[in-house]
Amino acid sequence: MSKAPRDIMLDGLWRDNPIFRQILGICSTLAVTNVVLNTAVMCVSLTVVTMMSCLTVSLLRDWTPRNIRMMVQTLIIAFYVIIVDLILKAYWPEMSRNLGPFVGLIITNCIVMGRCEAFAGSNPPGPAVLDGMFNGLGYSFILLAIAVLRELLGMGTILGFEIPYFATPYWDKWIIMVMPPGGFFVLASILWVCRSIGAKEVKK
Amino acid sequence: MKDKPWFAVAYMFVITVFFSTVLIGFARLTQDRVIANEQVMFERAVLESFPEIDVPPTPQVNQRFSELFKKSDDAAGAFVYLKDGQIAGYAVPLEGKGFWAPIRGVVGVSKDLTTILGISFYDQNETPGLGARITEADFREQFEGLTVGKIERPIGIRPPSVSPADNEVHAISGATQTCVRLEVLINEALSAWLEAMNGREVDDE
Repeated sequence: MSKAPRDIMLDGLWRDNPIFRQILGICSTLAVTNVVLNTAVMCVSLTVVTMMSCLTVSLLRDWTPRNIRMMVQTLIIAFYVIIVDLILKAYWPEMSRNLGPFVGLIITNCIVMGRCEAFAGSNPPGPAVLDGMFNGLGYSFILLAIAVLRELLGMGTILGFEIPYFATPYWDKWIIMVMPPGGFFVLASILWVCRSIGAKEVKK
Repeated sequence: MKDKPWFAVAYMFVITVFFSTVLIGFARLTQDRVIANEQVMFERAVLESFPEIDVPPTPQVNQRFSELFKKSDDAAGAFVYLKDGQIAGYAVPLEGKGFWAPIRGVVGVSKDLTTILGISFYDQNETPGLGARITEADFREQFEGLTVGKIERPIGIRPPSVSPADNEVHAISGATQTCVRLEVLINEALSAWLEAMNGREVDDE
Protein backbone atom coordinates (compact mmCIF):
# COMPACT_ATOMS: atom_id res chain seq x y z
CA MET A 1 0.00 0.00 0.00
CA SER A 2 2.68 2.47 -1.00
CA LYS A 3 1.62 6.05 -1.49
CA ALA A 4 3.16 8.58 -3.86
CA PRO A 5 5.10 11.35 -2.07
CA ARG A 6 2.75 13.90 -3.65
CA ASP A 7 -0.24 12.19 -2.11
CA ILE A 8 1.46 11.98 1.28
CA MET A 9 2.10 15.73 1.21
CA LEU A 10 -1.37 16.70 0.02
CA ASP A 11 -3.05 14.40 2.51
CA GLY A 12 -1.11 15.84 5.42
CA LEU A 13 -1.58 19.43 4.38
CA TRP A 14 -5.14 19.41 3.18
CA ARG A 15 -7.11 16.28 2.28
CA ASP A 16 -6.53 14.56 5.61
CA ASN A 17 -5.49 17.64 7.56
CA PRO A 18 -5.12 16.61 11.19
CA ILE A 19 -7.00 19.66 12.49
CA PHE A 20 -9.95 20.28 10.25
CA ARG A 21 -10.42 16.78 8.81
CA GLN A 22 -9.43 14.50 11.65
CA ILE A 23 -10.02 16.98 14.51
CA LEU A 24 -6.88 15.79 16.30
CA GLY A 25 -4.64 17.78 18.59
CA ILE A 26 -7.38 20.23 19.45
CA CYS A 27 -6.30 20.87 23.06
CA SER A 28 -3.03 22.45 22.05
CA THR A 29 -4.79 24.23 19.18
CA LEU A 30 -6.98 25.99 21.70
CA ALA A 31 -4.33 26.50 24.35
CA VAL A 32 -1.29 27.93 22.62
CA THR A 33 -2.80 30.07 19.88
CA ASN A 34 -3.30 33.35 21.72
CA VAL A 35 0.09 34.78 20.71
CA VAL A 36 1.74 34.07 17.33
CA LEU A 37 5.29 33.56 18.64
CA ASN A 38 4.27 30.87 21.15
CA THR A 39 2.27 29.16 18.44
CA ALA A 40 5.18 29.15 16.02
CA VAL A 41 7.48 27.50 18.56
CA MET A 42 4.81 24.96 19.43
CA CYS A 43 4.32 24.14 15.73
CA VAL A 44 8.04 23.64 15.16
CA SER A 45 8.25 21.42 18.26
CA LEU A 46 5.31 19.30 17.19
CA THR A 47 6.55 18.94 13.62
CA VAL A 48 10.02 17.88 14.78
CA VAL A 49 8.61 15.41 17.30
CA THR A 50 6.23 13.91 14.74
CA MET A 51 8.96 13.54 12.11
CA MET A 52 11.48 11.99 14.45
CA SER A 53 8.95 9.67 16.08
CA CYS A 54 7.70 8.48 12.68
CA LEU A 55 11.29 7.87 11.61
CA THR A 56 12.12 5.84 14.70
CA VAL A 57 8.88 3.87 14.68
CA SER A 58 9.41 3.10 11.02
CA LEU A 59 13.01 1.97 11.55
CA LEU A 60 11.95 -0.38 14.34
CA ARG A 61 8.79 -1.62 12.60
CA ASP A 62 10.18 -5.02 11.61
CA TRP A 63 11.37 -5.77 15.13
CA THR A 64 8.55 -4.43 17.25
CA PRO A 65 6.09 -7.14 18.33
CA ARG A 66 2.56 -6.09 17.41
CA ASN A 67 1.09 -6.56 20.86
CA ILE A 68 3.43 -4.06 22.52
CA ARG A 69 3.73 -1.56 19.65
CA MET A 70 1.70 1.14 21.42
CA MET A 71 3.97 1.02 24.44
CA VAL A 72 6.99 1.34 22.23
CA GLN A 73 5.46 4.26 20.33
CA THR A 74 4.61 6.09 23.54
CA LEU A 75 8.14 5.59 24.76
CA ILE A 76 9.63 6.92 21.53
CA ILE A 77 7.32 9.94 21.44
CA ALA A 78 8.01 10.76 25.09
CA PHE A 79 11.72 10.52 24.40
CA TYR A 80 11.62 13.17 21.68
CA VAL A 81 9.22 15.41 23.58
CA ILE A 82 11.48 15.44 26.63
CA ILE A 83 14.46 16.30 24.42
CA VAL A 84 12.58 19.23 22.87
CA ASP A 85 11.47 20.36 26.32
CA LEU A 86 15.03 20.22 27.67
CA ILE A 87 16.39 22.16 24.69
CA LEU A 88 13.82 24.90 25.25
CA LYS A 89 14.50 24.99 28.99
CA ALA A 90 18.24 25.26 28.46
CA TYR A 91 18.44 27.62 25.50
CA TRP A 92 15.17 29.56 25.44
CA PRO A 93 13.90 29.66 29.01
CA GLU A 94 11.43 32.51 28.42
CA MET A 95 9.68 30.53 25.71
CA SER A 96 9.75 27.39 27.80
CA ARG A 97 7.83 29.21 30.50
CA ASN A 98 5.38 30.82 28.06
CA LEU A 99 4.42 27.41 26.75
CA GLY A 100 4.20 26.04 30.27
CA PRO A 101 3.07 22.42 30.31
CA PHE A 102 2.06 22.30 26.65
CA VAL A 103 5.42 21.15 25.32
CA GLY A 104 5.27 18.16 27.64
CA LEU A 105 1.71 17.54 26.54
CA ILE A 106 2.83 16.94 22.95
CA ILE A 107 3.24 13.36 24.19
CA THR A 108 -0.53 13.09 24.37
CA ASN A 109 -1.11 14.87 21.07
CA CYS A 110 -3.13 12.45 18.99
CA ILE A 111 -1.47 13.58 15.77
CA VAL A 112 1.90 12.13 16.73
CA MET A 113 0.67 8.74 17.83
CA GLY A 114 -1.94 8.72 15.07
CA ARG A 115 0.73 9.05 12.39
CA CYS A 116 3.03 6.50 14.05
CA GLU A 117 0.21 3.99 14.27
CA ALA A 118 -1.50 4.67 10.94
CA PHE A 119 1.48 5.22 8.71
CA ALA A 120 5.00 4.91 10.13
CA GLY A 121 4.39 1.45 11.62
CA SER A 122 3.82 -0.06 8.19
CA ASN A 123 5.91 2.08 5.84
CA PRO A 124 9.62 2.56 5.15
CA PRO A 125 11.49 5.43 6.86
CA GLY A 126 11.53 7.87 3.91
CA PRO A 127 7.78 8.10 3.37
CA ALA A 128 7.23 7.93 7.14
CA VAL A 129 9.33 11.07 7.74
CA LEU A 130 7.58 12.85 4.87
CA ASP A 131 4.21 11.89 6.28
CA GLY A 132 5.16 13.08 9.77
CA MET A 133 6.51 16.33 8.42
CA PHE A 134 3.51 17.19 6.30
CA ASN A 135 1.04 16.32 9.03
CA GLY A 136 3.05 18.61 11.29
CA LEU A 137 2.89 21.33 8.66
CA GLY A 138 -0.83 20.78 8.17
CA TYR A 139 -1.28 21.29 11.90
CA SER A 140 1.05 24.29 11.88
CA PHE A 141 -0.60 26.35 9.18
CA ILE A 142 -4.03 26.06 10.76
CA LEU A 143 -2.63 26.96 14.17
CA LEU A 144 -0.77 29.95 12.81
CA ALA A 145 -3.90 31.16 11.04
CA ILE A 146 -5.81 30.94 14.32
CA ALA A 147 -3.02 32.65 16.25
CA VAL A 148 -2.71 35.54 13.79
CA LEU A 149 -6.44 36.23 14.02
CA ARG A 150 -6.52 35.96 17.80
CA GLU A 151 -3.49 38.12 18.43
CA LEU A 152 -4.56 40.72 15.87
CA LEU A 153 -8.15 41.05 17.07
CA GLY A 154 -7.34 40.64 20.76
CA MET A 155 -4.16 42.66 21.16
CA GLY A 156 -3.75 44.61 17.89
CA THR A 157 -0.33 43.09 17.28
CA ILE A 158 1.26 40.29 15.27
CA LEU A 159 4.43 38.72 16.70
CA GLY A 160 4.39 41.64 19.14
CA PHE A 161 4.57 44.27 16.38
CA GLU A 162 1.80 46.83 16.44
CA ILE A 163 -0.40 46.67 13.36
CA PRO A 164 -1.71 49.96 11.93
CA TYR A 165 -5.32 50.61 12.87
CA PHE A 166 -5.64 47.53 15.11
CA ALA A 167 -3.15 48.89 17.65
CA THR A 168 -4.77 52.35 17.74
CA PRO A 169 -7.66 53.41 19.96
CA TYR A 170 -9.98 53.23 16.92
CA TRP A 171 -9.91 49.48 17.26
CA ASP A 172 -11.72 48.36 20.37
CA LYS A 173 -9.64 45.30 21.31
CA TRP A 174 -11.63 42.07 21.48
CA ILE A 175 -10.05 40.93 24.71
CA ILE A 176 -12.06 37.72 24.66
CA MET A 177 -10.01 36.63 21.63
CA VAL A 178 -6.84 36.13 23.68
CA MET A 179 -8.77 34.37 26.43
CA PRO A 180 -9.75 30.70 26.19
CA PRO A 181 -13.21 31.25 24.62
CA GLY A 182 -11.58 33.10 21.72
CA GLY A 183 -9.81 29.88 20.78
CA PHE A 184 -13.12 28.08 20.35
CA PHE A 185 -14.65 30.86 18.22
CA VAL A 186 -11.71 31.14 15.86
CA LEU A 187 -11.12 27.40 15.60
CA ALA A 188 -14.78 26.83 14.77
CA SER A 189 -14.76 29.58 12.13
CA ILE A 190 -11.62 28.18 10.51
CA LEU A 191 -13.03 24.63 10.53
CA TRP A 192 -16.13 25.99 8.84
CA VAL A 193 -14.19 27.83 6.14
CA CYS A 194 -11.80 24.96 5.42
CA ARG A 195 -14.52 22.36 5.35
CA SER A 196 -16.65 24.48 3.03
CA ILE A 197 -13.76 24.71 0.59
CA GLY A 198 -13.16 20.97 1.01
CA ALA A 199 -16.83 20.20 0.32
CA LYS A 200 -16.67 22.02 -3.01
CA GLU A 201 -13.64 19.99 -4.05
CA VAL A 202 -15.42 16.75 -3.29
CA LYS A 203 -18.43 17.76 -5.43
CA LYS A 204 -16.17 18.39 -8.39
CA MET B 1 11.41 -15.61 17.75
CA LYS B 2 9.29 -12.46 17.45
CA ASP B 3 6.18 -14.35 18.57
CA LYS B 4 7.69 -15.71 21.78
CA PRO B 5 6.32 -14.03 24.90
CA TRP B 6 9.79 -13.43 26.32
CA PHE B 7 10.78 -11.51 23.21
CA ALA B 8 8.27 -8.75 23.87
CA VAL B 9 9.55 -8.36 27.41
CA ALA B 10 13.19 -8.39 26.39
CA TYR B 11 12.51 -5.98 23.52
CA MET B 12 10.70 -3.50 25.73
CA PHE B 13 13.47 -3.75 28.30
CA VAL B 14 16.25 -3.10 25.80
CA ILE B 15 14.42 -0.23 24.17
CA THR B 16 13.59 1.42 27.50
CA VAL B 17 17.18 1.14 28.69
CA PHE B 18 18.47 2.61 25.45
CA PHE B 19 16.17 5.64 25.31
CA SER B 20 16.42 6.32 29.04
CA THR B 21 20.19 6.28 28.91
CA VAL B 22 20.27 8.79 26.08
CA LEU B 23 17.76 11.00 27.92
CA ILE B 24 19.64 10.91 31.20
CA GLY B 25 22.82 11.84 29.37
CA PHE B 26 21.09 14.71 27.63
CA ALA B 27 19.50 15.97 30.84
CA ARG B 28 22.91 15.92 32.53
CA LEU B 29 24.38 17.95 29.68
CA THR B 30 21.76 20.67 29.92
CA GLN B 31 21.28 20.60 33.70
CA ASP B 32 23.78 23.32 34.52
CA ARG B 33 22.32 25.65 31.93
CA VAL B 34 18.78 25.08 33.17
CA ILE B 35 19.73 25.85 36.77
CA ALA B 36 21.79 28.88 35.71
CA ASN B 37 18.87 30.18 33.64
CA GLU B 38 16.56 30.06 36.62
CA GLN B 39 19.08 31.83 38.80
CA VAL B 40 19.62 34.57 36.20
CA MET B 41 15.84 35.14 35.91
CA PHE B 42 15.69 35.82 39.60
CA GLU B 43 18.78 38.00 39.63
CA ARG B 44 17.45 40.03 36.72
CA ALA B 45 14.20 40.56 38.60
CA VAL B 46 16.12 41.78 41.65
CA LEU B 47 18.00 44.31 39.49
CA GLU B 48 14.78 45.41 37.81
CA SER B 49 13.09 46.05 41.14
CA PHE B 50 15.38 49.06 41.57
CA PRO B 51 14.64 51.37 38.62
CA GLU B 52 17.87 53.34 39.13
CA ILE B 53 19.94 50.28 38.22
CA ASP B 54 20.71 49.78 34.52
CA VAL B 55 19.98 46.14 33.85
CA PRO B 56 22.76 44.70 31.67
CA PRO B 57 22.25 42.07 28.95
CA THR B 58 21.74 38.52 30.23
CA PRO B 59 25.42 37.37 30.24
CA GLN B 60 26.40 40.17 32.67
CA VAL B 61 23.37 39.95 34.95
CA ASN B 62 25.04 37.59 37.40
CA GLN B 63 28.12 39.79 37.75
CA ARG B 64 26.12 42.99 38.27
CA PHE B 65 23.90 41.22 40.76
CA SER B 66 26.80 40.03 42.88
CA GLU B 67 28.38 43.51 42.80
CA LEU B 68 25.27 45.25 44.10
CA PHE B 69 23.42 42.75 46.25
CA LYS B 70 24.26 40.54 49.14
CA LYS B 71 22.25 38.08 51.11
CA SER B 72 22.19 39.03 54.77
CA ASP B 73 20.80 37.05 57.68
CA ASP B 74 19.82 40.37 59.22
CA ALA B 75 17.59 41.27 56.30
CA ALA B 76 15.00 38.56 57.02
CA GLY B 77 15.30 36.76 53.71
CA ALA B 78 15.66 39.89 51.60
CA PHE B 79 18.70 40.86 49.56
CA VAL B 80 20.53 44.00 50.65
CA TYR B 81 21.17 46.58 47.92
CA LEU B 82 24.58 48.19 48.42
CA LYS B 83 25.50 51.46 46.76
CA ASP B 84 29.13 52.52 47.38
CA GLY B 85 29.24 50.20 50.37
CA GLN B 86 26.16 51.80 51.91
CA ILE B 87 22.79 50.11 52.25
CA ALA B 88 20.47 51.70 49.73
CA GLY B 89 17.50 49.38 49.97
CA TYR B 90 16.20 45.85 50.18
CA ALA B 91 14.98 43.43 47.51
CA VAL B 92 12.16 41.39 49.00
CA PRO B 93 11.17 38.19 47.15
CA LEU B 94 7.46 37.67 46.50
CA GLU B 95 5.67 34.43 45.86
CA GLY B 96 2.03 33.41 45.79
CA LYS B 97 -0.96 32.27 43.82
CA GLY B 98 -1.89 34.10 40.64
CA PHE B 99 -5.06 33.52 38.66
CA TRP B 100 -3.69 30.60 36.62
CA ALA B 101 -0.32 29.78 38.12
CA PRO B 102 2.05 31.02 40.83
CA ILE B 103 3.41 34.54 40.50
CA ARG B 104 6.97 35.17 41.66
CA GLY B 105 8.64 38.53 41.80
CA VAL B 106 10.74 40.96 43.76
CA VAL B 107 9.82 44.25 45.36
CA GLY B 108 12.43 46.91 46.06
CA VAL B 109 12.02 48.72 49.39
CA SER B 110 13.92 51.80 50.53
CA LYS B 111 16.48 51.62 53.33
CA ASP B 112 14.13 53.22 55.87
CA LEU B 113 11.35 50.75 54.93
CA THR B 114 8.89 53.56 54.15
CA THR B 115 8.91 53.62 50.36
CA ILE B 116 8.50 51.07 47.56
CA LEU B 117 11.20 51.72 44.98
CA GLY B 118 10.06 49.31 42.30
CA ILE B 119 8.66 45.90 41.51
CA SER B 120 9.33 43.18 38.97
CA PHE B 121 8.11 39.68 38.18
CA TYR B 122 10.12 36.74 36.92
CA ASP B 123 7.57 33.98 36.91
CA GLN B 124 3.91 34.28 35.99
CA ASN B 125 1.49 32.64 33.62
CA GLU B 126 -1.42 35.05 33.64
CA THR B 127 -3.66 35.62 30.63
CA PRO B 128 -1.61 37.22 27.82
CA GLY B 129 -2.84 40.73 27.12
CA LEU B 130 -4.64 40.96 30.48
CA GLY B 131 -3.14 39.62 33.70
CA ALA B 132 0.24 39.16 32.05
CA ARG B 133 0.42 42.95 31.70
CA ILE B 134 1.58 43.11 35.33
CA THR B 135 5.04 42.61 33.81
CA GLU B 136 4.73 45.70 31.59
CA ALA B 137 6.39 48.97 32.49
CA ASP B 138 3.08 50.91 32.60
CA PHE B 139 1.82 48.83 35.47
CA ARG B 140 5.10 48.36 37.32
CA GLU B 141 6.06 52.03 37.20
CA GLN B 142 3.04 52.89 39.32
CA PHE B 143 4.77 51.22 42.26
CA GLU B 144 7.81 53.48 42.12
CA GLY B 145 7.76 55.85 45.06
CA LEU B 146 4.71 54.36 46.69
CA THR B 147 4.51 54.99 50.44
CA VAL B 148 4.39 51.79 52.46
CA GLY B 149 1.07 51.80 54.32
CA LYS B 150 0.09 50.19 57.60
CA ILE B 151 1.73 46.86 58.31
CA GLU B 152 -1.57 44.97 57.81
CA ARG B 153 -1.97 46.39 54.31
CA PRO B 154 1.28 47.88 53.03
CA ILE B 155 -0.01 48.47 49.49
CA GLY B 156 -3.31 48.35 47.63
CA ILE B 157 -4.40 47.73 44.04
CA ARG B 158 -7.63 49.60 43.32
CA PRO B 159 -9.98 49.66 40.33
CA PRO B 160 -9.15 52.34 37.76
CA SER B 161 -12.36 54.22 38.67
CA VAL B 162 -11.12 54.96 42.22
CA SER B 163 -8.42 57.56 42.76
CA PRO B 164 -5.58 55.80 44.57
CA ALA B 165 -4.16 56.76 47.98
CA ASP B 166 -0.44 57.17 48.68
CA ASN B 167 0.06 53.44 48.96
CA GLU B 168 -2.20 52.38 46.12
CA VAL B 169 -1.94 51.73 42.41
CA HIS B 170 -4.51 51.23 39.68
CA ALA B 171 -5.45 47.70 38.68
CA ILE B 172 -5.42 46.53 35.06
CA SER B 173 -8.91 46.63 33.63
CA GLY B 174 -10.05 43.19 32.59
CA ALA B 175 -7.57 41.51 34.93
CA THR B 176 -9.42 41.87 38.23
CA GLN B 177 -8.66 38.36 39.45
CA THR B 178 -4.93 38.68 38.81
CA CYS B 179 -4.84 42.04 40.57
CA VAL B 180 -6.79 40.83 43.60
CA ARG B 181 -4.42 37.91 44.04
CA LEU B 182 -1.40 40.09 43.37
CA GLU B 183 -2.42 42.51 46.11
CA VAL B 184 -2.77 39.62 48.53
CA LEU B 185 0.57 38.09 47.70
CA ILE B 186 2.49 41.36 47.81
CA ASN B 187 0.91 42.30 51.12
CA GLU B 188 1.52 38.90 52.67
CA ALA B 189 5.18 39.03 51.74
CA LEU B 190 5.64 42.65 52.77
CA SER B 191 3.78 42.36 56.07
CA ALA B 192 5.74 39.29 57.10
CA TRP B 193 9.00 40.87 56.08
CA LEU B 194 8.31 44.24 57.75
CA GLU B 195 7.28 42.41 60.90
CA ALA B 196 10.56 40.49 60.87
CA MET B 197 12.58 43.62 60.11
CA ASN B 198 11.00 45.69 62.86
CA GLY B 199 13.66 47.25 65.02
CA ARG B 200 16.50 45.53 63.19
CA GLU B 201 19.56 47.29 61.87
CA VAL B 202 21.68 45.76 59.16
CA ASP B 203 25.40 46.35 59.07
CA ASP B 204 26.78 48.12 56.06
CA GLU B 205 29.65 45.66 55.90
